[in-house]
Parts: sequence; structure tokens; C-alpha cells
Amino acid sequence: MKILVAIKQVPERDAQISIAADGRWIDESDLSYTINEPDAYALEEALQLKEKNGGEVVVLCAGPERVTSTLREALAKGADRAIHIEADDLGERDTLGIAQLLADAARAESPDLILTGLQSDDLGLGQTGVVLAELLGIPHATIIMQVEVTTAGLKVKRELEDGWFQYVEMPLPALLTIQSGGNKLRYATLMGIKKAKTKETKTVQAAPATAAQAITLERVYLPEKQKKTEILTGTPAEVAAKLVEKLKFEVRAI
Amino acid sequence: MTAALIPGIHLSATLAEPAHFSGLEKISLLIGIAISLVLFFWRFGPILRTIFRSKKDNDFSLHPIRRRLWDFVWEVLCQGKVIRQRPLPGLAHAFVFWGFLAFALVSLNHIANAVGLGFLNPASDLGTFYFFFAAAWALLVAVSITALFVRRFFVRPIWLGEKVSYESGVIAFLIFLLMVSYLGAFFVDASGTAVKVLWWTHTLTLLVFLPLIPHTKHLHLVISPFTVFLKRDGFSRIPPLSGDEDFGLVSGKDVTQLISLQVYSCVECGRCTEHCPASNTGKVLNPKEIILGTRSYLNEFGPASETSLLTDMREVPSNNPAAKYMSMEAAFECTTCGSCEYQCPVGIQHLPIIIGLRRGATNTGAWEDTHGTKLFLALEKHGNALGLSAMERDKFIQKQAFPIFDGTQEYCLWLGCMGGYDPKGREIIADFARVMQYLGTTFGVLKKEKCTGDPARRLGNDLVFQTMAEFGLKAFETAKVQKIVAICPHCVRTISNDWREYGIAPEIEHHSEFMARHKARLPKQDSGESIVYHDPCYLGRYRDVYEEPREIVSLAGELVEAPRSHERSFCCGAGGGLAFLGEESGERVSHVRAAELAGTGAQIVGTACPFCNTMFRDALSAMGEAPPQLLDIAQLTARALPASEMRTGEQ
Amino acid sequence: MNGVIVLMEQRGGKWNRMSFEALAAGQQLAAGLGMECSAAIIGEGADTLAAELAAKKLAKIFTVQHPLLQTYTSDGYVAAFEQLLKQADPTYVLLPHTYQVRDFAPALATRFRQVLISDVIAVHDGPVFVRQLLQGKLNADYKSAGTGPCFVSVQAGTFRAEAVEAGTATGTAITANFTPQLEANQIRSKPGEPFREAAQTVDLSAARLIVSVGRGIGEQENIGIVEELAKALGAELAASRPICDNGWLPMERQVGSSGQTVSPKLYLAIGISGAIQHLVGMKGSKTVIAINKDENAPIFEVADYGVVGDLFEIVPALTKAVLAAKN
Repeated sequence: MKILVAIKQVPERDAQISIAADGRWIDESDLSYTINEPDAYALEEALQLKEKNGGEVVVLCAGPERVTSTLREALAKGADRAIHIEADDLGERDTLGIAQLLADAARAESPDLILTGLQSDDLGLGQTGVVLAELLGIPHATIIMQVEVTTAGLKVKRELEDGWFQYVEMPLPALLTIQSGGNKLRYATLMGIKKAKTKETKTVQAAPATAAQAITLERVYLPEKQKKTEILTGTPAEVAAKLVEKLKFEVRAI
Repeated sequence: MTAALIPGIHLSATLAEPAHFSGLEKISLLIGIAISLVLFFWRFGPILRTIFRSKKDNDFSLHPIRRRLWDFVWEVLCQGKVIRQRPLPGLAHAFVFWGFLAFALVSLNHIANAVGLGFLNPASDLGTFYFFFAAAWALLVAVSITALFVRRFFVRPIWLGEKVSYESGVIAFLIFLLMVSYLGAFFVDASGTAVKVLWWTHTLTLLVFLPLIPHTKHLHLVISPFTVFLKRDGFSRIPPLSGDEDFGLVSGKDVTQLISLQVYSCVECGRCTEHCPASNTGKVLNPKEIILGTRSYLNEFGPASETSLLTDMREVPSNNPAAKYMSMEAAFECTTCGSCEYQCPVGIQHLPIIIGLRRGATNTGAWEDTHGTKLFLALEKHGNALGLSAMERDKFIQKQAFPIFDGTQEYCLWLGCMGGYDPKGREIIADFARVMQYLGTTFGVLKKEKCTGDPARRLGNDLVFQTMAEFGLKAFETAKVQKIVAICPHCVRTISNDWREYGIAPEIEHHSEFMARHKARLPKQDSGESIVYHDPCYLGRYRDVYEEPREIVSLAGELVEAPRSHERSFCCGAGGGLAFLGEESGERVSHVRAAELAGTGAQIVGTACPFCNTMFRDALSAMGEAPPQLLDIAQLTARALPASEMRTGEQ
Repeated sequence: MNGVIVLMEQRGGKWNRMSFEALAAGQQLAAGLGMECSAAIIGEGADTLAAELAAKKLAKIFTVQHPLLQTYTSDGYVAAFEQLLKQADPTYVLLPHTYQVRDFAPALATRFRQVLISDVIAVHDGPVFVRQLLQGKLNADYKSAGTGPCFVSVQAGTFRAEAVEAGTATGTAITANFTPQLEANQIRSKPGEPFREAAQTVDLSAARLIVSVGRGIGEQENIGIVEELAKALGAELAASRPICDNGWLPMERQVGSSGQTVSPKLYLAIGISGAIQHLVGMKGSKTVIAINKDENAPIFEVADYGVVGDLFEIVPALTKAVLAAKN
């Protein structure tokens, strides 16, 4: 089974973020990058499926030169091949535009299954996978915890709200967006990194953007309210009442 | 001078030697010698071959030659370690060893006599002196070997193993026989059958003894002087990996010549196991069995084998109880405290072997442990072992208003993972900062710090360790740091020593060393409180720093020693990356040590390592009524300082 | 048509409450732009629910029904809504940001060559839609290029369901039935019945609400008051390591570096100091409320709401108040 994993390289979670001079995006000069965490789980799922069912895992990533390091890490973890869609203008493309880049590469590979994380750590729109499936005309399912290969295709476990789950059966080829935490991630090993040197990374140039963006990110800014600890005071009864109000309206736990 | 004791037997001043050997006797002797030598080399040859066929050590060096010579003189000739660690049995062993040395010429002369080439005349002054000298030794050896026999077979200390060792009994008997057959020659005439009987007894004993040497742990007689001399320079010295195919000790072909030499030198004394915190708390890990397990592996599979060293990844017959000792479980129970390596009298270096086995498992991904994986991912993603956002450290620095190191300050204060993120570690840092401010020492902290990589290094993950080390070296270089001070012995060790594989870090010292240098200016408290000081493994055995922290403790109260202190200090259980792994099986190492410390009756437990501190905090609080207070030496010092001016932290 | 249409979610005749928040959002957006706001309800039971919306301030209420829409499938919903929207031709399409919407709305938007502006936390004049980036570190303003309907999904809790405006006495919303054209072979996936995991052992990592107890509780007998609170809230009970070490609660309830890692909606830490080993296990919680008598306890660094006080007084009072609020 050929599995394509679409991954994204995002700024490190702990990175100190500062806004670029034009206010349209963050200052990228001092940033460290890493694999988008939900995509790491998608990769893990792909590797486990390969270990169970045989086949090939191909990782796919669009972006500038720096994303090759993330592709290499994926190869080190066990992916067989990597495809780098070289594009320096991702900021000028919306989800649809990027999904189109991925779709072009995916069509060339005609995989049996495409996996991707359910959303990205930076923009978090959570749609690229679904849009990609739509562009390729293949069925999809989102927020997947478990994947099982069956004679008819796949049986996947989908997470629903409030602790509910459901199984979905679908044919192949298909696309799944993977939820974090379904599997235990593996750590990159020295042996993996050494092996990665011998694996193929293909670079393809991104086709120029055809249509204008449907939505545009106009500006970024710091949220006014920083996370501050609100200390509630009063008698126990008063505090209890205040807490209940928070639980009802802020946390929505009641 | 003769004295008649029993008719026919009299003590003579002269050693009786047979005057004449028949041709048959001479030929028998030569054949006997030949057979003995052949049998000796039949077993010794393959062992030597195994050792030489093993992989060459990529960091082998004879430097520093002076230290090696000194170790050889002290440990081998003077039997320093042997006596020090177990005084009475050690002394007995030393007598046997010195006796062997004293007997060298005697034995040679004894054989040479038979072919008419004897060179020591019993009647000459030199002869008389030497033979009496040897006789004195023979007496000492006979007594000592008897005592050791009694100890092994009747007293039965557990460290020598549960199984009765028949071969030890045989060897003891042979040695006894050698001595007695020598001494007997003082009581008989030079003529007659008695002297011949004694002579042949002695000779046959020698000829039987020789081939037994390579078949038993008495091989150490031949090779351990070399082992001690050729030891890797440095304590717990982990060699760098050599090339793209080297992942650590995966299989036989990774075992190096030094390791082979060392495992064949093992005398099975069990001193390593005796002090091992894991072995003492019911874990599977047994350092002696790791060495013997490696030895049996080499005997069975050889040094070129691709069979896995760890038993998890190979077929083991089910009736092999020793298999569990060479398992991943055992290898990963090691806290790297070093008490095994520290006291091995024959120069075996356990830590590179255990960590080598871990490397083989981790670098290849064979080790699948939830907590271990979490740790490695946390280090990769967040740069600290706790998996917390680096912003937490920034917040702490801002709150404490620590200056950022900019090249103008004298010291870079290294926070470390505990100092930067753990509430207790932060308290220690804050107090130490107060001490530095009081002393007028300028310092700054790095803007961004990642873990030194110590837990990754000790757990065998070279990929993560390299990333951390290179990051740290670059950070120091960019900030132009010249001197570093840290509160954590693990950080100090890793930066000063382990990072050398990737570059030279600026000089770094532990805060105890810093404070001790300024002790004249630190206030002397007369609290009268008793403080028991716990030697951290990575400060004591690893760095030989014992007195400086004690000087600081003595300023704060009355110093009390734990039953096991200094180089015998018992680990707190956090080292080797174990602080980040899951629950331990058996008794908790930290609880055992905490009980020992509290058992001294001291009011305060003084620590010099934030890991020891955190381990004891949980352990002491679980001890019912009024457990002792727990304070780092920085806190003990800072509590006596005048209250500092209000610092303006972040609003 | 122009105007705003809100796609409401329901399952088997029961509303997903978030839909009303999206409805409030839609009404406000429409009012701000001088447009009309309509609603669409899809799936079996839509017509019954439509009656509830009749009294609201809406121009039209569409009920989208078809045998193949009995259970949710992305293929079914996307095809059905595509046809509805082509007919209704709205300027704005609002949805609640639910699991289901995340599954089908991006595909629906793609049919119109649009991109869904998802998980919006505010709507400003323009209209400008505000989203969060980088796990809440930054906010971002998004605009639609206006080349087709603008799809927006609204984050839970952004708008208040209670803010849905009622209609005037004279104008009542017109209900229109819409039956899409659907073929069985268009539905490619077969979804099973939703189920809950049987909790044989406690799986704290899946818990939505957690009440956690620490050393501050003092004695084993006192844990009862925390258990009462957990029961009242319908939350799972968890603990910091010392509690489990003492055997007061089973090891599987331990949260921390050597126990479970949890990421609930609510983490209520009672008598927990916040040692690092505990924090690493719960730092993923959405909202943290801490009750501790030590104002310097590190737990307050990560708490959204904190109470410095005696838990033996506060916890029973809170339990009482929670039970009252639920009834």
C-alpha cells in the first residue's frame, strides 16, 4: 500500500514570536522550525500501517528550502521517499492554493491513502486535508484515531465531541486527517538519520499561483488580553458562586 | 642448627633440595612442563585472540603515562583498592599476591634445579636469606588462603554469589599445597625420599595450577595488571562513536579490545554489585553479571558476531537464568552512579559498557519506552527535559531580574533544566544568586538555554545529545562566555567533560567550589543545627569534590557524615536519566538513601544537587513524624545573608 | 439572494447547541451589514426543529431533507448544501465550528472555490474575521476577497446562544423545504453508530473535566469532599503523585510526568502546589482553576482562575453551588 503523508513545517512551539515590520506576518529571521505536531502523528500512523501491511510511505511538503530538514527527519523516522514542492511564496497562497500544489504532486504519485494532520500549529485552519481530498475527488474522514486496513478499504475510528466515537468504513483511495495522541510517537534515532542519507528526496517546482486568494490574512497582532490569573476573592460562598459563573460561561462545563 | 621435633623430621636452617634427579625424572618433568604449557595456551590462546580480534578502541591512548604507572604501582603492586574497600579479606589477598611475587625466583629455581641449572644455593647467605624470606611469605600465604577459603565456603558473603564455587576451592587447595610443600622442605633432609616427594608435590601442583589459570577467574593473575594499566583515562569515559555504522554496543563486533580485556579480567569479587543502588533495591541490574554476561557472550559468539548482546533481541534457552542480567530492563535500571567502576580492583570500567549497551538499544530505536520517548521528544521540541515551554524560563529570569550575560560579567550562571523550570531548583538558583550578589560577583544568564543533554547521553541517545551539545557550545561561543558556574553536578560534568566530543566549553565549576573559594567572606552561623551532607554521585565520584561542600555546610551548622559517604556515597536514584523514566520496581533507591540520611538523627539534610534534592523531598515527606529539613548548600548559605534590597522584578 | 445563511447542526432531532451561537453571530453580522439572515437545518427531523426557529428574527428557514441524509456523511451534506447554496446564493455562510463542520465545510467551500475562515473568535466591522494563530499567541484579521459566498465557522463560546434575537410579531420566518438531488453512489463512506468507550479503567487522557487533588488534602478521609465535587461536576477524579504513592487513590489516577498526561477542558487543582512533575502532566488543559492556601504556590502560574484559601471551606461550598446551578 502506498501512503502519502502531507506534512507542514511550522515555527517551533516555544519560539519567541515577534511581528514583522509590515504587521502582516511574524518576523521569521530568528525562528527555528520543526514538523507540525499533528503531522508527526500522521507520519507515525503511516509508518505503523506500513509495518503492519507492507508498502511504501512517501512524505510530501511544500515550502522553501528550509523544509528539507523536516523532510529529512521524516525519512529518518522511517519514511521511504520524500517530495519537496519548492515554493517561496506560501504566504501568498491560501488553503485552496496550497492544496492545489499538493494535489498536483499527489496525482503524480497516485497513492492508495493520504494522511495528514488535522490542523497546523501555526495557522490552524484545519482544512488542507479535506480540501485536498475534494480536489482529488477521493473520500475523506477527519479527526481519526485509529486506522485499520480491510478487504474493502479502510475502517477508521473517528473522534466526535464529548467522548463519543464512531467507526467509518470507506473505500480506497482515501484521505484521512489524523488526531494527535492516537499513537505514541517514535523518537528520531541516530540509525534513522544515517539511513535517511541514502533515501531519495525529489524536488519539484511549484506551479505559479493561478487564481487570486479567496481569503486574505490582512494583519497579525497580539491579543489584548494576555493569560492572566484571575484571583477570585470573597467568602467561600461568594467564591463558589463566582466559580460557578466561570464554569458556566467561560469553561462551559456546567 | 637442627632441632629434633619428631624423629626423622627436624627444622633445618637450610631448605632441602633433592640432590639428584634421574634421567627419567628429568624427562617426565620436561614432558609435564610441555603438557602444562600446551594446556595453558590451549585456553589462553583463544582468549588472547578474542581480545585482539575485537574492534580497536577509537580513543585508545597511553597518555597520561604517569598516571597509569602510578595506578599500576598503587592498585596492582600495593593492592591499594583491594585492601581499602574490604580491609581484612583484602589484606589476606594482598598477602597471597605478594607471596606469589616473592615466590617468583623460588619457583624458577625449583624447576631449574631438576635440570641442574639451579641458581640459588640454599647454603649460601643470599640463598639462606631468600629462602627464609620466601618461607615467611609461604606461612602468610598459607594462613591467608585458609582464611579466605573459610570466608568463601563457610561465612558465605552474598556478594560472592549464591552458588558454591568449586573452582575457587580447588585453587585455594592448590595454593595451600604449594606453600605447605615448600615449607615442608625445611623439615626434611636433602637426601631421602621425603624431599623428593615434597619436590614432586610442589612441581605437580605448579604444573596443574598453570593450565587452570585461563579456565577460571584466576586469569586475572595474568591479565589484570595489563587491565589496570590500559584502563581508559577518565571516570565513566564514554568513547565517541566511530563512523556511520557505529551505534554503540549492539553486537559482538562492537565490543572493543579494552572491553574484552576487561571482561576477561573479572574476578567475580562482587564489589561492584555490593555498592550498586539497583542491586541493593531489588532490581534486575547486577553490574557483575553484566561483565560476566559479556564474557560468556564472547565465549559463545566471539568478537565478530552480529548476534545481539542484549538478550531481548536474541534467542535464549529458557533454562538460562543469567539471561535476565543482560536484558534491556537491567541495562536501563542503571543510575550511572559509578560505584561499580569506582572500586573495581582489576580496572574494569562498567559505565562505558552499560551506557554502550543503552546506546545500542536507543540509537537503533530498539528501546521503546513511553517515558524515554517522551523525554527525547521533549528535548527535541522544547530543549529541556521537562517538556515545558522555554517561555517559562524566560518568565523566571524576568521575575528574578537576572541580568542577561553580555560579556561584561565575570560569570555565566547556568540554570539547567532544574534551575530553570523546577520550583525547588529555582529556589536554589535564587539563593545562589543572592550569594553571588553578596560577594559582589558579577554574573549573567544566557538568553536561551537548552538542556546539556545529560539524560540523553546517559540513556544512549547520541543524536539528541549531539544536538544539545552543539547548541550549548555555540551559545557560549556567541555570548563570549569565559567562566560558568552551575548548581547542578550533572550540568557541570556534561559541559566540562562530555561536551568535549564536540568542542571545548569555557571552564565551569560547581557552586560548592565557587562558594568554598570565598568561604572566608561567607557568614559563620552558630545555629548548632546538625546537618548531614549527602555526596552527589556526579560531584563526588565523578569530580572528586568532597571537601568544598563540607566547608560550606560547616559554616551553617554541625557537619554530620552519613554511614556511606565520600566515594562510598549511596546514589539518590535520579541519575542515568532515571529521574525522567517511569516508576521503579522494587524498593525506591531514594527512599533507602533518605532513610539512611534521616537515620543519622541530623536535623537537616544538606544537598548539592537539585536532582538529589527533588528525590529526597518526596522520600523524606513520606517518612512520618518530623522528617529532617532539606536544604541545598546555597540555601544554607543564603539564609544567613542580610536581606537584600527589594529587586524590581517584572510588574 | 445576498444575505447571511446560518447552517444549523442537529442529530436525530436534537440540536447541537453551538448552532445557536452561530445563529446569533449570523444575525449580528447581517444586522451590521444591513442584510437579511436565514437559517438552514439539514437531516432527518429538520422540519420538527424548524418550528423552534419560527419565532426568531430570520428571513427564511430552509429544511434540507432526503433519505440519504438520515445519518451524517460528508459526501451527503456537501452535495446537499452545495445545491441549496447555489439556489439561495448567500453572501455569507456561517457555521458553528463543530467536529462535523470541520469534516465537511472545507469541502463545501472548495466547491465554490472558496476557503472557509474557520474557528473565528470575533467579527469586526468590514467585515473582518478574527482568528487565533500559533496556539493563541497571536490574533489575525481575515478578509474575504468577495468572489463568492464567504464561509465562516464560529468558535464555541464566542457568541452567546442567548443573544439570538426573537422575531417581531408581524414578520415570521418563512419555512421552505429543500430536497436535494442525491444518488446512493455519491455517498462513499459508511459511518457506524456513535458510541462511548466503556471505561474499564480510568482513562484520564480522554476526560473532559478533571478535578485533581494534592497534598493539601492532608488525610485520606478528606478526599471524600473532593470526590463529591467531582461527582457534582461530572468530572473525573485525579491526583498528584504523593496521593497515589500513599495509596489513597489508585496509580491510574495520577497526573504528572510519571502518570497520565491530560488535556481536559477544565482542570480543577485542589490543594496541589504545582511541582514541575505535576505541571508537565496537565499543562495541556484548556482552563485551569486552582484552589490552594499558599498564594506563592507555582500552580497559580498556570491557572486561569485561582482561589487563595482553605479548600476545606471552599470545596464544599463549590459543590453545593454547582449542584444548585445544575438543577
